[in-house]
Amino acid sequence: MKNYWYIFIAIAAFVLFAGVAGEKGNRFLVDETTSVAEVLKKLGDKSLSHQPNFSINGVSAKAGEDLVLRGIAKDPKGDGETKKQSKHFVCTSCHNVEREDPDLSKVDPEARLLFVKEKGLPFLQGTALYGAVNRTSFYNGDYEKKYGDLVLPARNNIREAIQLCAVECSQGRRLESWEMESVLAYLWTIDLKMGDLIWSENELEDVKIKAEKGMADSTAIALVKSKYLAGAPATFVDPPQDRKQGYTRTGNPDNGKLIYELSCLHCHKNERYSFLNLDESKYSLKFLENYFPKYSDLSVYYVARYGTKPHPGKRSYMPHYTKEKLSNEMMEDLRTYVEQEGEK
Amino acid sequence: MKKFLLFITTLLISQAVWGQEYAFQTFKDRWVINTHSVEMLPKNRMDFRVTHRFGDLAGEAGGWPTFYGLESASDVLIGFEYGATDNLSVGVFRTKGAGDLKQLISPTVKYRLLQQESGGTPITLTAVGVGSISTMQKVDESEGLNSFPKFSSRMVYNLQMLAARKYSDAFSLQVSAGWTHRNLSPFGELNDIFNVGFATRIQVSHALSIVGDFVLPLNGVQSPFDDTDGPQYSPSIGVGIEIETGGHVFQINLVNSQGIMPTDYIPYTKDAEWSKGQFRLGFTISRMFKIR
Repeated sequence: MKNYWYIFIAIAAFVLFAGVAGEKGNRFLVDETTSVAEVLKKLGDKSLSHQPNFSINGVSAKAGEDLVLRGIAKDPKGDGETKKQSKHFVCTSCHNVEREDPDLSKVDPEARLLFVKEKGLPFLQGTALYGAVNRTSFYNGDYEKKYGDLVLPARNNIREAIQLCAVECSQGRRLESWEMESVLAYLWTIDLKMGDLIWSENELEDVKIKAEKGMADSTAIALVKSKYLAGAPATFVDPPQDRKQGYTRTGNPDNGKLIYELSCLHCHKNERYSFLNLDESKYSLKFLENYFPKYSDLSVYYVARYGTKPHPGKRSYMPHYTKEKLSNEMMEDLRTYVEQEGEK
Repeated sequence: MKKFLLFITTLLISQAVWGQEYAFQTFKDRWVINTHSVEMLPKNRMDFRVTHRFGDLAGEAGGWPTFYGLESASDVLIGFEYGATDNLSVGVFRTKGAGDLKQLISPTVKYRLLQQESGGTPITLTAVGVGSISTMQKVDESEGLNSFPKFSSRMVYNLQMLAARKYSDAFSLQVSAGWTHRNLSPFGELNDIFNVGFATRIQVSHALSIVGDFVLPLNGVQSPFDDTDGPQYSPSIGVGIEIETGGHVFQINLVNSQGIMPTDYIPYTKDAEWSKGQFRLGFTISRMFKIR
């Protein structure tokens, strides 16, 4: 009889423990790896409409990752791979897939430059794809000047924004529906996490408690959303009126070196995405130095602020830098570095 | 000669300071002037090329009457090359032909065996095979090569091994060894000709460089070491400037050989002495396209 009691106690303890463990496993806990979108949902915010549709055959985050990083993926209709999305670019030619801003609530290209340098990332014209699904507006600000009415459907619709980028920016083909949903599935694996946002101790504790309890709270929602930008602002700027004089300040050559290495060489070194080869040699730097102050479409002022246009037979072109991606001061940093090195 | 070859070998394998990566653009173009360079087309790129060689700039056949050779064309090439992989290119070229065999169609295969990288391979090594077929009309009673007793008589082959090293951003050097085989050769000439060659590129500015090449036949009447009386053959020597404008390479050169393909200029560079003004202006326009 005593043995039966031991067995009964053991089973009861197991059931009780398993129950507690199960309860803990299902509980929503907020830590730095928790998705910001999940937290917002728990606080009562309505879900974003960018959720991927997994019911379409072939949709997977892996396929999306391949499309973003390589421009091709395994074709669900056969054994081979898809046709390359663009023969000129891949998404990562212009967009990072990691966080690139120290403070996601601000636009600060100089802080971004130092941040990407620390992380070993390039410094690019496009806004990071990291956290793209947390944004609600795309092709903002002056992009209407560049693409006209094409930006209208893309402004509030991430799928349309991706298609616009695929066809116009990368001069490639439209994504098929399974590809689009796969890209979204991948982008949801690189959405913002709570640890990416800058919190005070009290703010985080408040949001954490409310989210974990599932308390709907519009103040908490607003607080979370104030920690990152819902869209990347874009302001187009002209080259300086007087290109010999340049913009206003004397540049910092150390920053200029970083811009040259992390931005210019990202695309131009060994003709990676460009027909114009640039490298660290004096020939490249002298070439840039010579054209910098000239009223020529080879001046860095010109190509950085206006980009380049496609030529017959060469449909790829260089996208320009908005003020938010490269400030006027940073342009002078680059010029100072180029002049300093070109004259050596 | 042995000391000279030893010097060249030592120069090629000597170490230069270089970043931890493959040497990029040892030559800007896949051809130096007449010789192929070690450069390869990147995968899925197509190169369209037009090359022209005018007539003699000076000497008996040149000067004012031919407007310094510009009113005649000794050879014209038009063709495509495609990068099947980063290390394998195939091409097909049509040339007018300047030697005994004319109207040549020449498929080419080029394969890179080694690529220069710092701390590793000191040179880039590339093999190029060219097979030319003459599409001249057969003339049965001809005593020349165009009698074409067999179909294979129309064929000429060339194989070159190219070894090059980029020493700095400013200087590259290439040496080559080659073999040319003609199925049918003029009376008294050898079917097989062996040659060595040198080529160099000196970068002057970002877009401008000076290039030069030299191909020396080692045997047969084509060789300067041969004492047989007969037509005056010369080694092929060319110098030029190369201008890169992003996607285009434009080259202007002066070269003594009349033909453009190695199956043509190696066996048939005759009456081509620089000292007699028997050299010509040439140019190449090449344009690269992305296919996929």
